[in-house]
Amino acid sequence: MKAPDRPPKPAYEVDFPIERVEAEHVSRREFAKFLCLVSGGMAAGTGWVAVKDRFAPPFKLSGEIHICQTRDVPIGATHPFSLEGTKMPFILVRPSEDEWFAYEQKCTHLSCAVYYSPVSDRIECPCHKGFFDVRSGRVLQGPPPRPLHRLDVVVKGDAIFVRERSHA
Amino acid sequence: MSNFRDAQSQAHPSKTNTILLGVICVLILILVMQIWLLTTALNVSLEGVETLKWPAFIASTLLFLSGAALLRYLPNPIGQAKKATRAAKTRTLL
Repeated sequence: MKAPDRPPKPAYEVDFPIERVEAEHVSRREFAKFLCLVSGGMAAGTGWVAVKDRFAPPFKLSGEIHICQTRDVPIGATHPFSLEGTKMPFILVRPSEDEWFAYEQKCTHLSCAVYYSPVSDRIECPCHKGFFDVRSGRVLQGPPPRPLHRLDVVVKGDAIFVRERSHA
Repeated sequence: MSNFRDAQSQAHPSKTNTILLGVICVLILILVMQIWLLTTALNVSLEGVETLKWPAFIASTLLFLSGAALLRYLPNPIGQAKKATRAAKTRTLL
């Protein structure tokens, strides 16, 4: 007895002979290869950090830059400023009559803008409650991993200047 | 010709399974170490310290290369079966 003729396969089955479940299945071999690919990405990322630091070093201030006059910043207040050649915001802090400090206004945790609180006499990050010592910039509390980037402040008469830190 | 391999595979049928899982575990371990190296390099870079970045890069590259070399030992029973079928077909045609 002759077997009945099968109906011809639809064109899409001829063009795409792989079942969807087979196409979506990720085998352990493929997973291992993917892990290796991510591993390559990690190596490339570490290389990028090293190369970027070598050929595009972070901004360094050269010489002394005039910021403002002493009368512009009352005691317990801050004065925001920026420097030519960088978009980084900085703040000049005056906690008392003769104390002047300048810091990068970027939290070292996730780059939120920090501010000086005269009540607590600390620099605070409002995002994740990070606190920095206003006199040294070191971390007092919270998630920031590093101290704030600090500049030296030079007072010449009534004029306030900043310059790169002479020592770390 | 020796049938040692076939006999061995029959005695331990889950051998390739164990090798594959072992390779995956080693690759995950390599990846964890590389994440640690990358985090360290970033922290060191942001702190402005000059050391450690290049050694971290070299170590990460070596880890990647060792992981890539490990892929060579991934068992591929389906691929081997297909290859054997193709070889048999070629022999028949000849």
